[in-house]
Amino acid sequence: MLVAENLVKTFPGVRALDGVSLSLRPGSVHALLGENGAGKSTLVKLLTGVYRPDGGRITLDGEERHFAGPLDAQRAGIGVVHQERNLIPAFSVAENIVLHHLPSRGGRLDKRRMRAEAVRCLELLEVDLDPDIPVSRLSVAQAQLVEIAKALSLDTKVLLLDEPTASLTGDEADRLYTVVRRLRDAGHAVALVSHKLEEVFAVADTVTVLRDGRSVAQDAPLTGYTQAQVVDLMVGRAFASIALPDRTVDGEVTPALQLSDVSTALGHRGISLTVRPGEILGLYGLVGAGRSELAKAVLGLERITSGTVRIHGRPARIRTVGEALHRYRIGYVTEDRKGEGLFLDQPVSRNIAVTVWRRLARAGLVRDRSERELAGTYADRLGIRISSPRQPAGQLSGGNQQKVSLAKWLAAECDILIVDEPTVGIDVRTKAAFHELIAGLAADGLALLLISSDLPETVGLADRIAVMNGLRIVGELANDHDYPRMSQQIIRLIHAAETVSAA
Amino acid sequence: MTAQLETPAPPDAPPRTPHRVPLWANPRVGLVVLLIALVVLFSVLRPAFLNTRLTLTPLQSDISVYLVVGLAQLSVLSLGHMNMAVGRMAATSAFTMGLVHDKLGAGLVLSLIAGLAVGALLGALAGLIISRTGVNSFVVTLAMDFALAGLITILYSGVTGGVAFPAMPAGMSELRSDTFADYCIGDVCGPRVPLVVPFAILAALLVGLLFRLSRLGREILMTGANQRAAELSGIPTKDRIVQAHAVSGLLAALGGFLLAANNGAFSASLGDSFLLPSFLAPVLGGTLLAGGAVSVLGTVLGAALTQVIYKGLNLLQFQLDRLQLYIGLVLLAALSLDRARHVLAERRGNRA
Repeated sequence: MLVAENLVKTFPGVRALDGVSLSLRPGSVHALLGENGAGKSTLVKLLTGVYRPDGGRITLDGEERHFAGPLDAQRAGIGVVHQERNLIPAFSVAENIVLHHLPSRGGRLDKRRMRAEAVRCLELLEVDLDPDIPVSRLSVAQAQLVEIAKALSLDTKVLLLDEPTASLTGDEADRLYTVVRRLRDAGHAVALVSHKLEEVFAVADTVTVLRDGRSVAQDAPLTGYTQAQVVDLMVGRAFASIALPDRTVDGEVTPALQLSDVSTALGHRGISLTVRPGEILGLYGLVGAGRSELAKAVLGLERITSGTVRIHGRPARIRTVGEALHRYRIGYVTEDRKGEGLFLDQPVSRNIAVTVWRRLARAGLVRDRSERELAGTYADRLGIRISSPRQPAGQLSGGNQQKVSLAKWLAAECDILIVDEPTVGIDVRTKAAFHELIAGLAADGLALLLISSDLPETVGLADRIAVMNGLRIVGELANDHDYPRMSQQIIRLIHAAETVSAA
Repeated sequence: MTAQLETPAPPDAPPRTPHRVPLWANPRVGLVVLLIALVVLFSVLRPAFLNTRLTLTPLQSDISVYLVVGLAQLSVLSLGHMNMAVGRMAATSAFTMGLVHDKLGAGLVLSLIAGLAVGALLGALAGLIISRTGVNSFVVTLAMDFALAGLITILYSGVTGGVAFPAMPAGMSELRSDTFADYCIGDVCGPRVPLVVPFAILAALLVGLLFRLSRLGREILMTGANQRAAELSGIPTKDRIVQAHAVSGLLAALGGFLLAANNGAFSASLGDSFLLPSFLAPVLGGTLLAGGAVSVLGTVLGAALTQVIYKGLNLLQFQLDRLQLYIGLVLLAALSLDRARHVLAERRGNRA
């Protein structure tokens, strides 16, 4: 039995887990539920030795354990299938299954024992797969089973599955859950992380629900809940709404950004949405729904194959970000601020002025002073705490970095702003300040497309909410800011879409 | 325990003071000190080191050549790229200068312009291949170096039947032998500075202007600092890569021209010695291989240091193979000292 008590995990600026407990019993399937960012994946990673907890303890069969790493946890009998694929395509099924403990004889790979071990794991699952073919020739569902077989090698007693059916069809998911039930009946303890409530209710025995890094239900029998009650637990009834300036959106005015029936090379189909000046359109969806990719298609970074994009009513063909910025005044605040948003080693002043050098330049030359003055102006306006405009952006806290990454678009006087996951990894207080800031920009007349996986944020800020799933818009709702009602509607839209696509 | 749970996330930490390196840890200051120490050492061991005609004047010519070559490398180090073909780009440009003079009878200025144009085009070609294919600059320019090396041999044997052009444009020999002391207005004559020096100074000033103040240079640096972020900030990063490599090719061509002036011939082997010094000058001067930051002043000092060491050991009559051994050792020592000093400064900075 694997027991976690009062686990705490802090990342710079955020407390991801705040005293979470849970126990996984042999012969039982335990569901781990929660919204995006509630701490599910962090918990899985703590239990499997990927992260080390900052507080609390983990015991396995009554004995306290400190895992040095994932392999250590697996040797102790804890197997995991992470959300991301972890197989080596060019290696055979057998090689992948025993990858981390390849048997050797006299320094050479003992192929017979390797194959025998792989076959044993595959038999546990009762699946019929040729251990000698390379993984690259398997289907997604077959590869997923190999992942599970890999997690079961080394005499695994506890198996954690993080979103195992995210990329499977309904039939394939059913088959996978048959395997899960079989493992349970054989006496394994199984933990299951999933967004698909129907599946969870069909297979799990007990449930732990996480919200904002804490457990709101712990080790409870699932029979005591309805799906609606679980959703309530996930999103929380006691939600403090975001206090925002009153805004009215003129529904008659020409949309600043309008997509009509847009399809992209990435597989988006029939995307239509409009954002008017002074309006915030929320684009909600789970990770992987294709929202950031859609934004990048608008900026010309991904190919649009059909449909039209209109900017202030006029059809626009945008090929580069430079064009989007200088010709159409569209800004994109990326979700990956360290990788795509900022130049961490460069001064704050340059991070902000990078979009306006064109305007600041006289005969191709930019004076340092005009750049620093501009940076100072926006640092004041957005409340960015810097000791000097020369300070490298990498030295700032997450919230201040995010403000810098927003400031460059305001400096460029954009009137359409796509804001992608603006408050990920930002502490609660700065988050609130950021929400005010975004609402203020809309009140100033900017058209905002808010991409977010944070449900309270979306419901708190947006005027309308478009829900996206599997590269399509599955519904659009007028937002009345009644959080419990809105959040349920949105989650139903997503789950309805899951069921449809699974059928 | 519960009290701890209730604590809200910590507010923003107060901003740290900006990263200021103390004066003694500034790599440029270290280079100046090292430079002076070596000059003193060599002058004590061999007083001939201070002989203007024998040592100091040729030393200035050498520094000029390798400064320009260092700047050629610096132009792409700004991107975090490398130009492994600096030498061969210089040689190909020098061939062009010789050809234009020899076959078309062009004068000095016209030959120089033709050579610089070819250098810039070669650089742009390298940049174009790198930015379109995404292949590492090291690989692309190394392949280019090989290709150009073959091409140069073929061209020289085809056009001149040998390895060098027989004649130089008028004025080249003056560039080689004269100093400003040979030009007088009335009784006032210039200093004993070779005529090639102003070329290098001008190049350094222009490159400094490019990276300090121009929009183009800044956008190149931002591309080097984080290409993805630069792209997403609306900078046409592919164009900037092509332009930085073109500047590199142009400066390599200028370096080739200055070396040809010093040697007195446009020859096939010109530029063979460019590669290592082209990295030494900027890297000793504090330019990062990672891209995003350059130091032109540091490159000037780095070029001076390398040539002083070379000239000093030469005067001490080290044989060529030993000379290379010692130069390598001295540079390793200099780099390690520099690194140690930097780490020490960082540690102090953090504790303060």
